Amino acid sequence: MYIYDDKIEKQPSVEIKLPEQEHSFNKHDLLKKSPLLKRILKARSFQFLVILPNLLVFYVIIIAGLIGTPVGNRNIAIVFIWILWWFLLIAIMVPFASRIWCTVCPLPFFGELFQRMALIMVRIGKTFNLRNKMFGFNLKWPKFLSNIWIQNIGFLTLCTFSAVLVTRPFVTSVVLGTMLLLGTLLAIVWRQRVFCSYVCPVSGFLSLYSMASTMELRSGDKDVCKKCKDKGCIRGNEDGWACPWFEYIGNMERNNYCGLCMECVKSCKNDNIALNVRPFASETKIKSLDESFKGFIMLALAMAYSVILLGTNGTVKDWANASESGLWGGFFIYAGILWSSALIIVPGVFYLFSYLSKRMSGVDSVTVREIFKGFSYILVPLGLLAWIAFSFPLMFINGSYIISVISDPLGWGWNLFGTADFKWQPLLPEYLGYVQLILLVVGLGYAISRGYFVSFRLYKTDKAALMGLIPMAGFALLVTMAFLIFFIG
Amino acid sequence: MKSKYIVLPLLITIFGSVVGFVSGGGSSKPIRRDIVVKARQYSYEPDRFEVNHGDTLHIRLVSLDVMHGFYLEGYDLDAEIPANLKTFKIRHPSEGFNWKDTSEIVIIANKRGKFRYRCSHTCGTMHPFMQGEMLVNPNILFNAGLGATVGFALGMLGMIYFRTKKSRT
Ligand code: SF4
Ligand code: SF4
Ligand code: SF4
Ligand SMILES: [Cu+2]
Repeated sequence: MYIYDDKIEKQPSVEIKLPEQEHSFNKHDLLKKSPLLKRILKARSFQFLVILPNLLVFYVIIIAGLIGTPVGNRNIAIVFIWILWWFLLIAIMVPFASRIWCTVCPLPFFGELFQRMALIMVRIGKTFNLRNKMFGFNLKWPKFLSNIWIQNIGFLTLCTFSAVLVTRPFVTSVVLGTMLLLGTLLAIVWRQRVFCSYVCPVSGFLSLYSMASTMELRSGDKDVCKKCKDKGCIRGNEDGWACPWFEYIGNMERNNYCGLCMECVKSCKNDNIALNVRPFASETKIKSLDESFKGFIMLALAMAYSVILLGTNGTVKDWANASESGLWGGFFIYAGILWSSALIIVPGVFYLFSYLSKRMSGVDSVTVREIFKGFSYILVPLGLLAWIAFSFPLMFINGSYIISVISDPLGWGWNLFGTADFKWQPLLPEYLGYVQLILLVVGLGYAISRGYFVSFRLYKTDKAALMGLIPMAGFALLVTMAFLIFFIG
Repeated sequence: MKSKYIVLPLLITIFGSVVGFVSGGGSSKPIRRDIVVKARQYSYEPDRFEVNHGDTLHIRLVSLDVMHGFYLEGYDLDAEIPANLKTFKIRHPSEGFNWKDTSEIVIIANKRGKFRYRCSHTCGTMHPFMQGEMLVNPNILFNAGLGATVGFALGMLGMIYFRTKKSRT
């Protein structure tokens, strides 16, 4: 039984509609509005053309990290990845355009090239039940790893060393290079984008936070999909490759695991793909606990970074930066606190609040575990906005390094565009607190208002839903207050 | 139906911010404060100090290892602190790179809130994250912000209560 068949079979025949459902949000199809955009996305060369420039930049960055100056803020590897790319990713791409980064990401390029043996064209043929010819071993990814736990642990591990990672160009290059290599090797052995779906450490938070995004790719009319015999979107055809992300868009309800590769836009014979603009935080369903834990990990990391990177305490910085300070004992204390808060303490506190929620709702038929899982959704708007608030200072304080590093990418004293001597200059630093306050309050607002949808799904009546929401709103408020203390207290 | 109840969180948010603003404490008599800030890789000592609005601050800067900077946001001040010297250079960023030698900075804390001082001279790996905080009390943004946040959360719950109450009847 192939995963593709699983997904098609699981397609529900009767849709259960809840009174207050997230699908009642207004949506506008960009592809209908803009025939030009549609033509661009339908072009076979589209993805290659958008990846290509990134691949070149990526190449320069890896080289710069390896041979350029070890001083982070003078090396393009650090400045472009950890200031420019990070800010664009978390503050613009994820909230407004879902996983658009995955559309242009160069990491899976060589792996996919190997599997397809084609840059632009499509191969028809047969690979298990797909109608595309694909190269490589095409093994099936083990079921017990078909979740985001590898990404959770991988991301947490990487982030434990972040003080080193974001300040040492060499380390950044090695990590990026390793990811590129891993992406390629996995693609040779396993089928399609298993690296993206299950391994890539960036993927985990992209999937979680893209739920909040104001953009989505969906089938325009699910009934058309039900009647559709071709199923080119998931099985491939002469116009497009089968979905490399194992998604069946015919019943896809969430952004999480759609990498916006746009293959289905090309392969759907019924012209049934829509690229919708929608309100922020429109999808509110967490499917499994690995996703919940991604939320906790991200929240704990945002807090840890606020203390280590934006905080003032030198001892903590020395602990996190043990490879230079030599304080490995401190490093283990810091790592221990980080891991236990991400995996035990914060989820534990949340579990207590979930229990309170159950008690206050007065509904007995729902388990605390279900409540815990369902409400962990509020960590999406809460965490995403906290991350954006955290990232604003990175960009506004250190963004001027982008200008100088462009002229001297390796830190070798070049002056390509005459801007190499541009001095470090924080941009409006004294107003960042206001921005952060607003961002945090927006996150809190979405956590509470969307939390109500979750609560209603769990408890089924308005009264119980409101009562059950109160403790969760309290949790969200506490988290928001903690960030306020870090940022402006 | 939606728009009507949005007024509620708005009102309570404003109420909360006013409460926070007012309860933040009145002004105390301005005094002179002498502060020595020692810079080292990658932090300052003290890493945070509190003063009151109107105080006159006499700040001396020393570096314990390599050359560091001291860019105080909100007060148009930047300094370059050579290692192990009593004097250092300061400039006002709004006037460009017009450095002057000095042994003491004198500023009047006439802006309220939290102001960070950051290293402005590349001093090593963690340099971009080297910073400290000067708190000029009362911290209006924080007090009002905290009040507003609590008010907002209550207001949101109130809004949901009224909205669903209407849909029930
Ligand atoms: S999942 Fe990771 S490797 Fe794959 S496209 Fe997205 S960012 Fe790139
Ligand atoms: S090919 Fe198009 S119509 Fe058919 S199932 Fe896929 S998205 Fe739906
Ligand atoms: S559903 Fe699949 S094929 Fe379509 S854009 Fe998303 S990842 Fe690509
Ligand atoms: Cu320094």
